[in-house]
Amino acid sequence: MANQFKARQQHYRRWQQKPIEAAFSVLILSLILWAVWSTGSWLIAGADWRVVTHNLPLYAFGSYPADQRWRPLVWMAALLLLTITTLSGDHLPQPLKRLQPFLPWAWILMVPAGVVLLAGSANLQAVPSRAWGGLTLTLLLTTASGFLALPMGIGLAIGRTSNLGLVAMLCRIYIDLMRAVPLIAVLFFGQLLLPLFLPVEIEINRVLRAVMAFALFAAAYVAEDVRGGLQSIPRTQAEAAAALGLNASLTMRLVILPQAMRIAVPALTNQAIGLLQNTSLMAILGLIELLGISRSLLANPEYIGRHLEVYVWLAGVYWLLCSGMALLAKRIERQGRLSTSS
Amino acid sequence: MSIAIHAQSISKSYSDDHRALDEVNLSVNLGEVLVVMGPSGSGKSTLIRTFNGLESIDEGRLEVVGIQLDSNQDERQIKRIRRRVGMVFQQFNLFPHLSILDNITLAPIRVKKMQKKDAELRAMSLLSQMGIADQAMKRPAQLSGGQQQRVAIARALAMDPEVMLFDEPTSALDPERVKEVLDAMRTLASAGMTMVVVTHELGFAREVADRVLFMDAGKVVELSDAKTFFSHAKEERSRRFLNQMTN
Ligand SMILES: Nc1ncnc2c1ncn2[C@@H]1O[C@H](COP(=O)(O)OP(=O)(O)OP(=O)(O)O)[C@@H](O)[C@H]1O
Ligand SMILES: [Mg+2]
Repeated sequence: MANQFKARQQHYRRWQQKPIEAAFSVLILSLILWAVWSTGSWLIAGADWRVVTHNLPLYAFGSYPADQRWRPLVWMAALLLLTITTLSGDHLPQPLKRLQPFLPWAWILMVPAGVVLLAGSANLQAVPSRAWGGLTLTLLLTTASGFLALPMGIGLAIGRTSNLGLVAMLCRIYIDLMRAVPLIAVLFFGQLLLPLFLPVEIEINRVLRAVMAFALFAAAYVAEDVRGGLQSIPRTQAEAAAALGLNASLTMRLVILPQAMRIAVPALTNQAIGLLQNTSLMAILGLIELLGISRSLLANPEYIGRHLEVYVWLAGVYWLLCSGMALLAKRIERQGRLSTSS
Repeated sequence: MSIAIHAQSISKSYSDDHRALDEVNLSVNLGEVLVVMGPSGSGKSTLIRTFNGLESIDEGRLEVVGIQLDSNQDERQIKRIRRRVGMVFQQFNLFPHLSILDNITLAPIRVKKMQKKDAELRAMSLLSQMGIADQAMKRPAQLSGGQQQRVAIARALAMDPEVMLFDEPTSALDPERVKEVLDAMRTLASAGMTMVVVTHELGFAREVADRVLFMDAGKVVELSDAKTFFSHAKEERSRRFLNQMTN
């Protein structure tokens, strides 16, 4: 007891000796309390969430025809299901576990499946890409450009580190050029300038143009991350493979690249998350993805002045999406570690 | 007696002022164990790496398992040689992302186009020969150095090579792990494998080597049969080296 008392006394004495620190602490603490209190009361009492709650289908599907909305819904549900399956990994029930080796293929198939579902095919009514929007479009832009950028980036990285002088130089020029240009410029080029160069009859789908521009841009960054991985694999690995009679391309495919990709996963995760966030730039160019649809809602006189609500809601949605991606990446990283060291 | 490796005044330099190999002549007979010794930087690694084309030569001619090599590195010839010559490195150089079994079956399946089943059967029998069949499903990082080096030997043997090259296979091992690797090499030698071994293990060399090549500064100082080399080496330089090693 006595000891405790003494300690407390010393504690007080320390504060007495530092009046300025003590004052600051009190000030900062009250600022934090005030911020929490006012945010909380705004969220619960002050905000008018009707701009969100009344328009959930718009946020999800944009202006996709109402009677066809099950199509993007099915696609997004499949994405969610796949994410959960991938994340639960070892905890899957036994019968589902046998499907695990097919997960990568399922992921790759998600992109063409999404395009077919949204655009329509033989049995599905065609829906022009103009009508795609909201979360659906955000996810489609991200997954499609991500899955395109990955092989392109790997190719560029291998090209850049190859000992074919011309190939290496071309890859280096492309990568450096793309990294020197801001994304918005690449997107403008894709949306506005590209059609000018093409004959009038050929009208490339706007979404496809956006995906191409994103993929071309992201590939340069992917390439640099993969190159980092490639260069961290000791030369002795390639020598050991060569001594066994493996040729250069087998050595790359079976020995070097698998190790390099494992090293590149954390950096690639950042690229993927950045890609998701950057899809919001398409709002400026007139695509009505998540941000685009929000802006058009805010332009509606009924919701005048509801900026705060909309942007807080958007931040929440993006946060959820990014967290999901980060979790997925962690899972992949762990898988990679499992299969190298333990 | 037929010849596995024949080198005719081969030279190699990494920089203009210094020759890593200087007019080296030698031949290795089939079924023979040749031990290569010499001080650090004398060119031992460079020499045996020219035998499977990991290093090119600047001058001279080389014939390995009947295939010719010269200063213009012919990729096709090199590839043919590598299918028939195995190599074991100081640092094991196993593939860390593959299981032990996959490390061993990779080349037989991809290069020799063996059936997966056959390749795995062969790999398991090699692993049992090396006394590590129970490690087949593990990753290299889970094995001790000695075990990893035995896997590396099995990996090279899986291609059924006619010649095996060893570059200081025990130098990276803890002292208590050296014996298990040397034992595996002894077994291999007594089975009649043609071997070129760079090593500082005098005991092993005395016991297993048929001949010893002693190098210094890229030159062959002495090439004698093992008995002669260890009892009364011809060259003063070799004797000095042996003295240093035994002290
Ligand atoms: N890749 C390289 N680049 C430049 N010089 C090299 C290279 N490899 C070896 N050398 C030089 O060539 C000479 C022979 O080297 P080598 O590695 O063959 O010697 P070694 O006898 O194997 O030595 P150690 O016992 O240290 O392994 C040395 O002078 C070395 O510095
Ligand atoms: Mg050496």
